[in-house]
Amino acid sequence: MRASARILALAASVAFLIPVCGFAPDAAEKPDADLIVTAAPVYAPLAALRGPGQSYERFPKGAQLLLLHDGNAEPLVNGFAATADANISFDAKRVLFSGKQAVVDPWQIWEMTLADRSVRKVIATATDAVRPFYLPAGRLVYAHRTANGFQLEVAGKDAPTGYAPLDAKAGETVLPLSYLPASAVPADVLADGRILFEAGYPLGTGSTPEMFLVYSDGSGVESYRCDHGVPRWGGRQLASGDVVFTHGRSLARFTSPLAAEARVVAPQADYAGAIAETSSGAWLMSARAGVGAHYALKLWKPGAAALQTLLAEKDKDIVQPVVVAARKRPNRHPTGLHDWNYANMLALDARQSRLGNLKATPASVRLETQDAKGHAVITGTAPVESDGSFFVKTPADKPIRFALLDEKGTVVRQEHGWFWIRRGEQRICVGCHTGPEHASENRVPAVLLRTTTPADLSVVSGAGTANHGTPGGN
Amino acid sequence: MSLRYLKSMPTVLTLTSAVFACIALWPAMDRPARAIDRNAAYDVLDYASPLELLLSPDGTRLYVLCQESGEVRVLDAATYDVIKKIAVGRMPRGISLSPDGHRLFVTNSWDDTLSVIDTGSLTVVATWPVGAEPSGVVEDPTGKRLFVANRISNDIAVLDAQTGVEEKRLLGGRGASYLTLSPDGRRIYATHVYPNPSPHRTAPESEITVIDAERAIVVDRIPLHAVAGVFHLAFSTDGRLGVVAEYHPKNLVPLAHLEHGGAFADTLTLFGADVGKPVEIPLDELERYAAQPFGVAIAPDKSHIYVTCGGSEMVTVVDVPRLLRYTHTHPGPHVQDLSASANYVTARIAVGHNPRGLTLSHDGRKLFVANRLDDTISVIDTRTNRVASTIALAGPKTRSKLRHGEQTFYSAHYSFQGQIGCATCHIDSTFDGLTWDLEPDGFGRDIVDNRLIEDVKDTEPFKWNGGNPNIPTECGPRTEKYFWRSENYDNLTLTDLTVYIRSLLPRPNRWRLPGYQFTPAQERGKALFERAVDKFGKPIPETNRCSFCHSGPKGTNQKSFDVGTKKTTDNPGPLDTAHLTNIALTAPYLHDGSARTLEEIWTVFNPEDKHGRTNDLTKDELNDLIEYLRTR
Repeated sequence: MRASARILALAASVAFLIPVCGFAPDAAEKPDADLIVTAAPVYAPLAALRGPGQSYERFPKGAQLLLLHDGNAEPLVNGFAATADANISFDAKRVLFSGKQAVVDPWQIWEMTLADRSVRKVIATATDAVRPFYLPAGRLVYAHRTANGFQLEVAGKDAPTGYAPLDAKAGETVLPLSYLPASAVPADVLADGRILFEAGYPLGTGSTPEMFLVYSDGSGVESYRCDHGVPRWGGRQLASGDVVFTHGRSLARFTSPLAAEARVVAPQADYAGAIAETSSGAWLMSARAGVGAHYALKLWKPGAAALQTLLAEKDKDIVQPVVVAARKRPNRHPTGLHDWNYANMLALDARQSRLGNLKATPASVRLETQDAKGHAVITGTAPVESDGSFFVKTPADKPIRFALLDEKGTVVRQEHGWFWIRRGEQRICVGCHTGPEHASENRVPAVLLRTTTPADLSVVSGAGTANHGTPGGN
Repeated sequence: MSLRYLKSMPTVLTLTSAVFACIALWPAMDRPARAIDRNAAYDVLDYASPLELLLSPDGTRLYVLCQESGEVRVLDAATYDVIKKIAVGRMPRGISLSPDGHRLFVTNSWDDTLSVIDTGSLTVVATWPVGAEPSGVVEDPTGKRLFVANRISNDIAVLDAQTGVEEKRLLGGRGASYLTLSPDGRRIYATHVYPNPSPHRTAPESEITVIDAERAIVVDRIPLHAVAGVFHLAFSTDGRLGVVAEYHPKNLVPLAHLEHGGAFADTLTLFGADVGKPVEIPLDELERYAAQPFGVAIAPDKSHIYVTCGGSEMVTVVDVPRLLRYTHTHPGPHVQDLSASANYVTARIAVGHNPRGLTLSHDGRKLFVANRLDDTISVIDTRTNRVASTIALAGPKTRSKLRHGEQTFYSAHYSFQGQIGCATCHIDSTFDGLTWDLEPDGFGRDIVDNRLIEDVKDTEPFKWNGGNPNIPTECGPRTEKYFWRSENYDNLTLTDLTVYIRSLLPRPNRWRLPGYQFTPAQERGKALFERAVDKFGKPIPETNRCSFCHSGPKGTNQKSFDVGTKKTTDNPGPLDTAHLTNIALTAPYLHDGSARTLEEIWTVFNPEDKHGRTNDLTKDELNDLIEYLRTR
C-alpha cells in the first residue's frame, strides 16, 4: 500500500473509532433485530475477483463494522484499523469478521462473542483472509489470498481425513476448496450445505462475475445456473430458498423451479448485493442513486414502490448488512471422498450441451490440466462411446478441462474455463455443460458395459501444450 | 499458514446401538392389526394411520380408512365429528363405494379378505375371502362384479358382487395394487407397485392394465417405460384426462450424487383424449423434489391436479390448462428437464407426515388429505391452496419411538434437497424390485439387488458384502454418506428409526399351511433343501447344503460365502447369506439381481454347484424346492 493510501486509511480508521451516536433512520418500519453493517469510504464489491496487477482491495480506504441497535449505530469492534464482512453464528451469539489491527496488516479472520465483545483471531495467515462464513459442525469458509488470487478454504476441527493437519492435538485443519488460476470468494452458505461463491466466468479464465457452488469438502463444483453472460454477484439465500443477487443496476434471483435467473422488480437503484432478510420478510439492501453516490442501507418490502432508508452516511458506503438473530443451521455435508490422490469422472452423454447437442458422437475426449507455470498441458485422450459416455481417471485438486475430438483429432467442442475435481471424488456429468436443469436418463452408460476401469488421464505425460484455438466451447 | 481456530466444538456424539429385548414369535394366526412387532420393549401406541379417504355421494360423510387401527372411521363431513368406527380386518389398504353409495368395500391386505359395509347401518354385513394381499377394489357400474387387485399374486380378481365368489383372475402388473373406474364406467385401470420383469440392467417397465368392466377382460396394457412404482390413478369427470402418480428411478446410473435428479424423478403419466399418446411429466424442480407421489385427484372442473407426495410431506398442485398447453407445445421427453414443472406446477402445500390418500369435495373447494403418520387429515382450501384446518383423529397424543422411527423412514427431508427417503426404495417398508449401482463400490461395479427389509431383525450383517454389522451403521453413517449425501439424523432419531426397522414383521406367508404343515411338494422340497446326499449317493459337504448357509428361523446363518455367483464386475470377497423371509416375492435374485427367478439361481447361475448341490436335480425337483422356499 502506498504511503498516501496508508494515511487515508488510517484517517478513516480513526474517524470510525468515534461512535456514531444519535443515528435516526427515516424508516417508518424498523428491523426487529440488531443489525451489523460495514461502513467504508469506498467499496469495490468485485475487487477481490480482479486479475493480476490490479488492486484487489474491496475497501481501499478502510472499513468499519457498525452495530445498529435501537436507532443508534456504534462501532462493533474497537482497536482495529479496519473491519468488514460480518457473519453471524447460527445461534446469534458470535460474529465472524475480517479485520486488520494495523493498516499495514493483512486482513485476517476474527471472531467476537457478542455478549462480552471479546475478540479473538481465528485465522492467521501471511496474506489476506476475507469473507468468512460459518459452516455447520464448527467450521468456517473464507477466501485466502494466494499467488493465484483468492482461493476458498475451509477451517475447523471436524474436517475429515485428508486435510492438512495444523494442530493434530486440537484437531485443527485447513482444507483448500478451490484449485483455480483465478480468484474465488465465498458469498453465502446455502441451506443444503453448499457454499455459494463468486468467480469470473468462464471459471478460471473469464472476468464476468458469476456465481458457483461447491460442497464444503471442495467437491461438486459447478455453476449455479448456466444462463451465463450478464455479470452477477452478491448472492444471498432467502428463507424461501431463492438466491437473490445483483447485476449492479438491477436485482434478480435464482429460484428452484427455473433454469435461468428471474428478474426482481425493485425500485431503480444501483445495488451492492449481499442483501439480508428480516424476520418479517423485508429485505435489507445497500443501494445508491448512481455510481458517484454512496451506498445507503435501505429496507424494502418486496413489491413496494420505494426503498426506505435505514442508514445513510454522507461520505461512506453502508454495505454488507446482516441481522443479529438466530437462524436455521445449514445442513452439514458428509464428505464421501475416497482416500485416493486422483479422481474419477463419468460423462453420461458428452454430446448433450446447452449450446446444442452434437450431431455426431465425438471419437475421443482430451483432458488438459495446467503445469506449475499455468500453461495448459494435455494429460491424454480417452475414447467416447457410441452413446456419448466416457469414464476417465483425472488429476485431482488441479485445474482441468475437457475437449471433445473427432476421429481426426480435431476439437469439436471444448470448455472455455477450468474446473477441478477433488482427490477421491467420483463425479458424474450428464453431458458437457447441459445445465443444472438437465437430469440423467436411466440407462447404463455404454462405457461401463465395456469396462469399469477408467481411462487413466491423471498423469501429465509431457504430450505437449494444448491448442487454445479451438471451435465451439462451453 | 497457521491456524487459530479455538472456539469450542459441538460435542461429537458417539453412536450407540439400541439394545432391544427379545421377543417371542407369534402364532401366525394370532397377530394384531399392525405390521410391527407389538411385543417389544418399546411403547406401541394405537395410532389410526389414515391411509385413504372417500366422501359419500351426498357429501355428508367422510370415510377414513385407518391402516393401523384396522377400521373405517366415519366422520361428519361438515363438523368432522366421528359418527362411527367400524372395525375391519388387518392392514386394510383399499376402499371404495358402490356406484349407488349403499355399500362400502374394504380390502384387508393381511387377512386376504374383503369387508362389505352397509352405509345405511354402518355395519360390516359380509367378510369374503379374496386373493393374496388384496389392495384396490372397485365395483362395476351395474353392481354385478367386484374387481380386487392382489398385490402378491399380481392379478385382479373378478368377484360376484353379491356373493363374493371369485369368477376369474386377470393378470396385472407385478404388485397389482390400485384400481380406478373410468367415469363412463366402461373401463377399470389397474396399477402396480413393483416393476414387471425385465432383462438385467435395463430400465424398469411398468404398465397400466386396462380392463373392460363389462366383459371382465384385459383390453389394453399402457406401457410405462422406465417407471417402477405406480400408485393412484384418477380421471377428469369428462373422462378425457387420466393421470397416474409414479416413481422414475435412476437405478442404472451410478448413484454418485443426488443433485440434478440423480436418484429419482417423481412423475405423472398423462393419458386419454386430452393428451393423445401417453406423456410422462416431472413434478420435481432443480432444488426441490416431489418425493414419493402417491395419491392423485383431478378437480371437478378439470382446473387442477392434486398429488400427495408422501416423502416431501406436501401436496403438489398442477394447473391443468397450463399443463396441457405445455405438453402440446413441447413434444418431450420431459422427464430429464427439472425446469419443466415451472410451466404447470402452481403450488406445493405443506401437510403432515406421509400424506397418502386424498379426496375432493364434490364442489372441488375442499381437498381432504390423509396424513398417515400424523393421525390427521389436512383440509385444504383449493381457492387459496392453504391448509384451512387439520382434523385430528382421536388417538394417542404422544409420539412413540416407533411412530417417530416410521416418520423418519418415510420422510425425504434428510436427503440432499429432499429427493429420497428410505421408503422410496423400500416401498411400503418392503423393497422395490430393482438393482442399483452404488458409488463407493466403483462405477459399474458391485451391482446390488435391493433386499426386502421385512423381518430384517437379527439378520445382520448388512450389505451384500456383509460390510455393515448392524442397522445403526447401515442406516447411519453409510446412508448419510452414500445415499442422502446430506446431514443425517441425530442419534435419537437414528435409534428410533432402528427400532422401527427392527420391528417390521413379515407379511403373512400365503404358501404356508395352517399349523406349519407342508403339501407333498413342499415336503419333497424341504427334503432336498436339507439333504446330505445327492441323487447319485455322493455325500454333499455340509457347507454346500442349502440348509447350512440358509439355516435358522430366518434362513441365514449370518455368514458370508463365495457361492460362485460373482461377476467380473464384482469386487473381491464373499457374499452375505440373504435371509429367506418371503423369498418367493422378492425377485430378482442373487446379489446383483441377475437371476430373474428362483429357478435361474440353479439353472443359470450355479454351473459348478458352488451355490449348493443342485445340478443333479430335475425340473420337477427344482419345482419342489421352490415350493418349499415359498413357505419361508
